[in-house]
Amino acid sequence: MPDASFDILIVGSGAGGGTVARELAPLCADGVRIAILEWGARLRKDEFTGREVEMAHRLFFESGGMLTKDRAMTLAAGRAYGGSTVVYTGTSLVMPRRVAERWGVPGLEWDDIERRSAKYAAENKVHSLPPDLQNDNNRLFAEGCRALGWKVEQFPINVDGCRGAGVCNLGCPNLAKQGTHRVQLPVAEQAGVEVITNAKVERIAEGECFVTVRDPGFGEPSPWAPGEYRVRSKVVIIAGNAVQSSALLLRSGLGADLPALGRYLTLHPALILVGEHERPLSNTAGHPKSFYCDEFLESAGFLLETCMYYPFTTAKNLIGFGAEHSQLMKVFQCHQQILVLAIDPPRVDNRVTVDKRGEPVVDYRLTGGVLDTLHRSMIAAAEVFFAAGARRVHVPAGERFFIGAEERDRLEELIPRRNVRPGQISVSSAHLMGGCRMGADPGTSVTDVWGQVHGYPWLFVADSSLFPRCSEVNPYLTVMALADRVAERIRDRREELLSS
Amino acid sequence: MDTLSQERASFLATVAERIVPEVGTLDLNGRTRFFQIIDEALRARSPAVRRQFGSLLGVIRWLPLLRWGTSFERLAPERQHRVLSWLMKCPSRTLRQGFWGLRTMVFMGYYGQPETWESIGYVPRVDGNEALYA
Ligand SMILES: Cc1cc2nc3c(=O)[nH]c(=O)nc-3n(C[C@H](O)[C@H](O)[C@H](O)COP(=O)(O)OP(=O)(O)OC[C@H]3O[C@@H](n4cnc5c(N)ncnc54)[C@H](O)[C@@H]3O)c2cc1C
Repeated sequence: MPDASFDILIVGSGAGGGTVARELAPLCADGVRIAILEWGARLRKDEFTGREVEMAHRLFFESGGMLTKDRAMTLAAGRAYGGSTVVYTGTSLVMPRRVAERWGVPGLEWDDIERRSAKYAAENKVHSLPPDLQNDNNRLFAEGCRALGWKVEQFPINVDGCRGAGVCNLGCPNLAKQGTHRVQLPVAEQAGVEVITNAKVERIAEGECFVTVRDPGFGEPSPWAPGEYRVRSKVVIIAGNAVQSSALLLRSGLGADLPALGRYLTLHPALILVGEHERPLSNTAGHPKSFYCDEFLESAGFLLETCMYYPFTTAKNLIGFGAEHSQLMKVFQCHQQILVLAIDPPRVDNRVTVDKRGEPVVDYRLTGGVLDTLHRSMIAAAEVFFAAGARRVHVPAGERFFIGAEERDRLEELIPRRNVRPGQISVSSAHLMGGCRMGADPGTSVTDVWGQVHGYPWLFVADSSLFPRCSEVNPYLTVMALADRVAERIRDRREELLSS
Repeated sequence: MDTLSQERASFLATVAERIVPEVGTLDLNGRTRFFQIIDEALRARSPAVRRQFGSLLGVIRWLPLLRWGTSFERLAPERQHRVLSWLMKCPSRTLRQGFWGLRTMVFMGYYGQPETWESIGYVPRVDGNEALYA
């Protein structure tokens, strides 16, 4: 088995891994050897085709169709040079102060998160899209919310040179989105950080990792030939995402020492709803996500956002099949789409485990409370569609496939709570959080407030798995802020960590 | 198709037409692409999932025997629709989930083909912003 040796190894190159690499990169000038091991591929520009099935295969774990153990939810997470930042939409929100207070992690202040988030917002060129670049799908959402007297806010987004291809979640063909693959990783590489793509870290132990390199048949070749490697390193930083980081630590045997490992997973469960308008709209052209409505975030625990998905994703998120389903798909140009996101509580039993092969199993249950929230959110979204002028709407828990505008006063009756059943509505998640939560108590957390794994001075976590509970808003800036803290701590402890 | 026998694949096409009626109007190339996409998706799944998929098709085929004394493909389209609607909401979670998976595969096979997009008015362009002013 060939050997390689570094001082610092980073597992994963997404929001967390890319940030930590960029922040540690200046150490390379002093001779510190840093490498990123990334499971996914580094795609060539011409490989960003915007074709749904092809890109899902190239850029997502299990083509974006990873299921929870009970198969009630689909999980989407990126696997690529840049991780999920290659496929995220780039909406850039700072986590609200009240959420940090709810997190209640001693030593983690909101001001610190806010300051670091602002740093990356600037670095990622976050700004608001001018009104002339907002398409009908977005405008109608804002108009609908305002007509109802609900507060609607514009999303700051992190694009540079966006031409409005509208396929952010399939990887931007114009390379406009400012993910770590465009911003932090190139800076880190320039400074001397090595990035080994197509490299899955199988197991870690003190001082070493076991890695398999495979050729996926697309992307730039990995700098390392396919095969198995033993990689030595003094410091290891795990940033594989909330599911994969827990799985890696569990299959490496750390579960016995860390009772909270893999637990308190939150998924920010999401639903897609469709309103049909009389006339064709500009919906697929232009940036897909300009507005959100947090009117109900505090009172009922959900967020409404604009969204616009692609034919297959849309089709599978509609309930039913046959003629009605086809009818709605045929008028794709008349679609207005809304994404709802529900806040889910951190439950000790919602957890990542591993199967016999060491692969993650996501044992997650949608609680009654979350199903109540999803129910309320569907009614609210239907109201927005009608207020925006939709002729009919499709709601996952509707009594019928379509609810017509003339029935808008009967939404409570036509969208009964009893229809909101796991396995009968299409619930998904792209915001995976927790599993290696930070905290002071090793009984209920996995790392300290600086991302160091309790009892393992050489091991850090720097990704969304650090979240002690749901971020309630879109999470990537918070992931970067926490990863920045981890990098700072490693720099501060550099002498101790890198000696010998 | 490598992952399903010829017989299972042709039965899948019958069921698929109930899920997306336009599957029945695909030309030879479209049909080939439909099966290719599903084949690739199944190949990426574990052998256990592939077996379950095949078994589910068997269940759908023979389920109507209990009620109508004949197999699925011999039923009128409206009865076939009823069988699938029952599966979608049936008390057995395993069957419900199985049907969910089947539906997903069929949608992927049809709507995952860029060639079908124009017919539903999905015309993505890299310079979408230009279209906003068109
Ligand atoms: C479709 C989609 C849209 C989203 N939109 C937004 C948005 O608009 N705004 C927002 O704030 N958030 C958004 N998010 C969420 C955001 O992208 C994530 O919260 C964030 O990227 C998580 O960062 P991370 O570092 O934990 O994981 P990731 O960014 O997912 O990176 C993890 C990386 O680690 C690699 N990896 C995993 N295991 C291993 C291993 N064993 N060996 C080697 N490498 C490994 C993976 O391949 C992956 O590349 C979106 C997510 C998705 C999927």
